Amino acid sequence: MKFLIITIIFLSAQISARELGQTEITTDEGIEVFKQEKYYLLKKNVEIISDEFKLNADLVKAFFNEGLYDVVRIDSTGNVILKSNRGIKAIGERVDFNVKDEDIKIYGNKSLLITNEMEMKSDGFIKVNNKSGLFSLEGENNTLTNQDVYISGYFINGSFIKFEEINEIENLFVEDQIEINIKTETLDMYSLKAKYNKKNNIIELFENVKIIRDKESIEGDYAIINTLTESYKVTSTNANKVKVLLKEKREEEDE
Amino acid sequence: MNTFLKINKKTLIILLISISIFFLVLIFFKNINKIKNQENITMTNPKFDILNPLFTINNDKEKISVSAKHGDFLSENLILLKNNVFFESENFQIESDEVIFNRKQQIANSDENSIFKSEGTEINSEGFRMLNKGDIILFNGKTSLLLDK
Repeated sequence: MKFLIITIIFLSAQISARELGQTEITTDEGIEVFKQEKYYLLKKNVEIISDEFKLNADLVKAFFNEGLYDVVRIDSTGNVILKSNRGIKAIGERVDFNVKDEDIKIYGNKSLLITNEMEMKSDGFIKVNNKSGLFSLEGENNTLTNQDVYISGYFINGSFIKFEEINEIENLFVEDQIEINIKTETLDMYSLKAKYNKKNNIIELFENVKIIRDKESIEGDYAIINTLTESYKVTSTNANKVKVLLKEKREEEDE
Repeated sequence: MNTFLKINKKTLIILLISISIFFLVLIFFKNINKIKNQENITMTNPKFDILNPLFTINNDKEKISVSAKHGDFLSENLILLKNNVFFESENFQIESDEVIFNRKQQIANSDENSIFKSEGTEINSEGFRMLNKGDIILFNGKTSLLLDK
């Protein structure tokens, strides 16, 4: 048994030459060092392993600062997968990762970013700063989900705060020329524009507003929703325009 | 009376000395030719052209010394550096076993395993190419880079 354990430890040590604090980079087709421009070009099947993160990509441009050892930014293209030990997982056609600022930009179709229970998807562009909590999504099929909410829209901007290892949305702005959607456990909201502020627990919806709760639906030009009490008020520029549908509920009551 | 007895003793000595000198001269020239031939063999088929070659690459930022144990001229400007080939500057060192160095263009090329070392940085590759007087270094094949902050 002892021999087996020693053998396993020995083999593990052989597999990775990396020690604590070191970053190991391997490639299949070489590394180009541009000393004046201060970057490495890493080619084919690139794997970067450090204490903080692991990255796989087809091609990587790694920028260094003072010394060759001081890599500060990693711009990767082709089948990029980035996993950090701070709960970040990023997948995309291109991932631009600022190591020190923890700033991540993901470009291309089926871009995905997961950070502490918060999931962002886009066919355009995702930008997240894990330190400040600021995020931005731009493009088709943008969605943002966490445990409590689902959001979709062409532009999604906002910030999150970390609460018990879960990222909660602090501020949010969503906009789309066709329709945005915010879905909570009890409310399904549609409009062209939306704002949310965690401080006062208010969601505001602007233009082509539609709110669905249980079997009732209400439409108007503007809505203000209190997320704590789940009460809402819908208004319209034209007083007759607010429309409430309770049909299905009545049918249920009749039954 | 024997005719030999008629030869003057002095004449005989001169004759013997002349013959001896002739043979000595003959042997001397033969040896010189032999040495000359040996020298020609050495020059036309050397084991290497330069012993402990040393060159310098100068760019704006640093001076890179190129050294090896042996060097063979492949052409006027191309030199094949062999055994313990080192490219060294204040900032880095590259070690390989065989490198082709172009003196005129100051380009180096190697298909042998190479190790690059700099402060907190080690690159192991299956070869390398040095361009732009050392500003650009391309490491070929399966390559590993170890960074130590």
